Amino acid sequence: MTNFAQLFFDAASLGGLYAMAALGIALIFGVMNLVNFAHGEYIAFCVFALIVPSTDAVAVMLLGRAPALILVPLILALGAAIAIASEHAVFRHLRRADPVAMMISSFALGFVIRNALLAAYGGRPKAISLWPDLNTPVRIAGAEVPLLQLIVILTTLLVVAGLAALLKKTRLGLEMRAAAENFTMARLLGVKANVVITGAFALSGALAAAVALIMATQTGVADVRMGGQVMLVAFIATVIGGLGSLPGAVAAGFLIGAASVLLQAFLPLDARPFRDAFLYTLVIVCLLVRPQGLFVAASAKPRV
Amino acid sequence: MSKLGVFDISVRYGKVPAISDLTFHLEEGERVFISGPNGAGKSSFLNAICGKVPTSHGRIEMDGDLLTGRSPEAIARLGLSMVPEGREIFGSLTVEENLRVGTGIRQDAQAIETDIEEIFAAFPILGERRRAAAGALSGGQQQMLAIGRALMTNPKLMMVDEPSLGLAPKIVDQVYDTLAALQEERGLTLLIVEQSSLRAARVGGRMVLMRGGRIVGEGNAADMADRDALAQAYFGNSHPEPEAVA
Ligand SMILES: Nc1ncnc2c1ncn2[C@@H]1O[C@H](COP(=O)(O)OP(=O)(O)OP(=O)(O)O)[C@@H](O)[C@H]1O
Ligand SMILES: [Mg+2]
Repeated sequence: MTNFAQLFFDAASLGGLYAMAALGIALIFGVMNLVNFAHGEYIAFCVFALIVPSTDAVAVMLLGRAPALILVPLILALGAAIAIASEHAVFRHLRRADPVAMMISSFALGFVIRNALLAAYGGRPKAISLWPDLNTPVRIAGAEVPLLQLIVILTTLLVVAGLAALLKKTRLGLEMRAAAENFTMARLLGVKANVVITGAFALSGALAAAVALIMATQTGVADVRMGGQVMLVAFIATVIGGLGSLPGAVAAGFLIGAASVLLQAFLPLDARPFRDAFLYTLVIVCLLVRPQGLFVAASAKPRV
Repeated sequence: MSKLGVFDISVRYGKVPAISDLTFHLEEGERVFISGPNGAGKSSFLNAICGKVPTSHGRIEMDGDLLTGRSPEAIARLGLSMVPEGREIFGSLTVEENLRVGTGIRQDAQAIETDIEEIFAAFPILGERRRAAAGALSGGQQQMLAIGRALMTNPKLMMVDEPSLGLAPKIVDQVYDTLAALQEERGLTLLIVEQSSLRAARVGGRMVLMRGGRIVGEGNAADMADRDALAQAYFGNSHPEPEAVA
């Protein structure tokens, strides 16, 4: 018999992961109209930063050896740093370019990061053990829930609340919201384009780092491909949520996580291997019914 | 040294020229209206000054500082503020947040708060709706908000592009009364695009007539309005048909 509490925790933690990744993409899209496909590689980069660069099959912890109190801020800062660096190196020079040109450049940047990781670490997935204690189950409401799931759910809520507070209460947040709505007008009022864009990339990179820490703990694997899969789902979440809408990205992230867990649980056994086909069918239906995004007011005008 | 000096500028969109070899001066504390038919290049002119569109030729100075080649945010920081055509308020932000967007360039935190209260005193309806989304305001209220928002950068020179667009005549009176009063109080220099020469004459100031990307006439707004009325009496419409929009 399916345990509903178990399903709930699975859905909420997977959804939380997708929501955080989707937020990272939506933040940059909001201020730059850029879908940054290198986001998945930021995630992989942060995972590999935990271990010593070598092509050996066994991973030796590098940053991963630091105590959590140091490690977490360190990896978040590293994620922010690589995002800011890529803005400086690539996207800054393309601000006046066509959005398609920017998107293709983000693919290219992703390839560069991925291949740099392959060169340094080799292509084979490595087993890593980051905070293994977090995978020990605790009993809640009759469900066996790994501690990590609770932490993921809690982290997501904190991140969403923190980001909302930052956007609502700080000067940078005000400028980011104004710039997301009308960048030129914000600049005419003295808002510095570079500050806003750097801020958006920093937050986006830190979100990628948070996703990286969770995935590394959850899967116990470091794999260059791991960011790409999340990125794909997160991108779909931002589209379903309404590109550029932050609440939409969060809601759609949770929705896809939930749909994915529910399909896994309730599809007939024979159909389960094709879960993703069902999932993406639902995505297509969503887009056919509401092409502007599920969580955008129907009257809202298109952003681009 | 004049407040604003525009020397021989040209603006083009691709191959289409919008402004050709235009020279213009504005004195400290002056109020100048720019008039002219649709497509004359009035908005392009303001947009070139504030850095929204690049000039292909010539230079622009304010208080002796070169504006040409600077970013819009750098120009705003030099004391130039813009109320654009169509107002372009931030609809998803609250009324008060709209006012605060432009305060990032100021250091006088105390004065910012008193300025906000002053704007709410001048436009009570904005004060009443300070926490409401700005997108829900009426056109006239949005125009007031756009003016208030531009004032919050504490500008020395303010440019207003067609404040009367889409507003009822009574509201337009109110907008101009407010602008005139603000100029009096703050010693602002004002550059205003206004299609109606009659309206400009009533408010008073210098008037510049643009057509085809050039200045084709200039004088006291009242005299220009008389001439306009005369031309209209003789030739029907004094303005040529609007040029086709690309
Ligand atoms: N972004 C643009 N791209 C291409 N052409 C433009 C652009 N903006 C303006 N133009 C053209 O430049 C010319 C001048 O336009 P501009 O908007 O400056 O005139 P205007 O005097 O402000 O007109 P209106 O009274 O309609 O506001 C017009 O021929 C217009 O079609
Ligand atoms: Mg215009």
